[in-house]
Amino acid sequence: MSFYFKKRKVVARKILVGAALFLTGAVSFYLFSRLPARFFPSPWLSQPLFTVFLMTALCLVVYKPLDSFCSQFLKNYFFKKKSFRHITLMNLTEELALILDLNELANLVVNTFGEVMQLKSVALVVPSRVRGDFEIASAFGWNVSDYRRVRLPQDSPLLQMVRENGTHVIVRDRVVRMLAWQEANKLTHDFESLRCRWVIPLFVKKELTGLIAFSAQVPDAVFDESDFHFFREFAAPVATYIHNALSVQELRLANSELQDIQSQLIQSTKIKAIEQLATGIAHEIHNPLTIISGKAQVLLLKKDRAHMNDQVEEVLKTIVKQTKRAADITRKLLMFSQGSGAPKESLRLEQILEDTIALVSYQTSLDGIEITKSLRGTIPALYGNVHELREVFLNLILNAVQSIGSQGKIHIDMNYHARDEIIDIQISDTGQGIEAEHIDKLFNPFFTTRHDAVGLGLFVTKQIVHRYGGSIRAESRKGAGSLFIVRFPYLEASKPISSAEEKVSLTLFPET
Amino acid sequence: MSKLLVVDDEVEICDFLKAFFEEREFDVRTAHNGPEALQMIQAELPQVVLLDIHMPGMDGMNVLRQIKKDFPRTKVIMVTAIETREKIEEAMRLGADNYITKPLSLEYLEKDVQDKIELLTGNR
Repeated sequence: MSFYFKKRKVVARKILVGAALFLTGAVSFYLFSRLPARFFPSPWLSQPLFTVFLMTALCLVVYKPLDSFCSQFLKNYFFKKKSFRHITLMNLTEELALILDLNELANLVVNTFGEVMQLKSVALVVPSRVRGDFEIASAFGWNVSDYRRVRLPQDSPLLQMVRENGTHVIVRDRVVRMLAWQEANKLTHDFESLRCRWVIPLFVKKELTGLIAFSAQVPDAVFDESDFHFFREFAAPVATYIHNALSVQELRLANSELQDIQSQLIQSTKIKAIEQLATGIAHEIHNPLTIISGKAQVLLLKKDRAHMNDQVEEVLKTIVKQTKRAADITRKLLMFSQGSGAPKESLRLEQILEDTIALVSYQTSLDGIEITKSLRGTIPALYGNVHELREVFLNLILNAVQSIGSQGKIHIDMNYHARDEIIDIQISDTGQGIEAEHIDKLFNPFFTTRHDAVGLGLFVTKQIVHRYGGSIRAESRKGAGSLFIVRFPYLEASKPISSAEEKVSLTLFPET
Repeated sequence: MSKLLVVDDEVEICDFLKAFFEEREFDVRTAHNGPEALQMIQAELPQVVLLDIHMPGMDGMNVLRQIKKDFPRTKVIMVTAIETREKIEEAMRLGADNYITKPLSLEYLEKDVQDKIELLTGNR
């Protein structure tokens, strides 16, 4: 019973159609029973069965037009509701004028349009500047994962038809009927992929900026010319806003590219300066170190050991050991700055981590910071650029050191998830933590809370990690330390370490 | 007696290397720049040259190239503070017989020089 109250419109239409059919039936029965008999006096023509047959045939023919006529009539009767919809949508267009973000705009358009018009599904299709085809920006009545996959190439039959037809609303049933079956099939495929029966084109001047594709809840729903007229009225401003939002999106993209390049430039100039400095220092420091260590070794290795006593020998050994240590520091400093454009090779992450810790260990021991690390499982070799990966570790560790200041702990946990083929690195510190409002901005370029920093460290780190297809995020509470989680997908090395390279690295650091 | 030439612009480095190898009964000559080194090689024909890369004027790489062209039997051990991997590879390509970094480990250096000399006498 409740069905009849809810679908008043349907019930009213059925009653109206029923009454009209009854009337048609009655009139035709009357006419058919009288007229043929008068003109062709034949006994079987006046048979009631034949009259009923004619009447049924007539009713069947007029049913469809009668039904749509009644539907139209009722729509006009329900005019008040319709105008309410129109007012809502026209108000929406005023609101849309202020939105410059494409996603927000698309969400608002599809959801409001879908709800107000009580549709089954609505999809807003926009050109994708990156790929050059069309994609769904937002949809109503779809799963997000479903509509993300839909793509409409520039030369798809639907887009061609839209370009030919201009701003006219395209009705699937109508256009498919007009085409040969082969073309109709192709077009149907486009309609199916957008799950729609109607398409409202969005044009700004002659440029197609998008489509609103939708389908109704009831399979036999119809829209009339006045609806189409209204759709076009609605489409005109929406098209302009989408055009603007697309331009803004493009500007944003260009802007972020510019920022990337700018920061890379700053970074590479910085690296170049360090490299020059380090090379200079290495030469200037290594020569005196060689002399100090060399002279001590000459004494230590003297064949004639008459002048040697234990104390002197101990001192000489210390001199040799400590000069080597000093040389190692400059060597490491140089290794970090050199060859930022070095080729990719098969790398052991634990070795890189070890080197990085060694580099900062002097500073951290002065500040009373303890660095511990734990490795779980065998970490596979990663194919990459040693300098980039060192930079990732160095930035994260230095970040932790600066957050701690003095007296604290840094723990680095490295773990390989064989099932997901992911290398998981977690760097936690007991530092001052990060304020909640800063967490989102942490990886932005030029964001820093210190006065003496440029704010590029974490940004560059993020860029490098992304270059390896990895991810990085931070968890922190003010006053409770921070945790940085880096994940690298395991990329199999395309070439193993060659023996020539091994030989060189061996001769570089001869064992003493 | 094996003949050794030490080429380094730092006089002190030449001095202690000379003292060290003379104690081990080498005939040691020293040179402080490229042209001087080449003259010395021509005059003395040393078996092994310890060659510094970083020198004012003609650098070690050019000296190496010249030695390997004119005296291919002379063994050359490159000695330097620090260089990039590309530089090391270049030196190896030019025919350097080994490559060691400063500060030197004298024990390692002595062993290496002995190896080179054995290689030469073995070939003879």
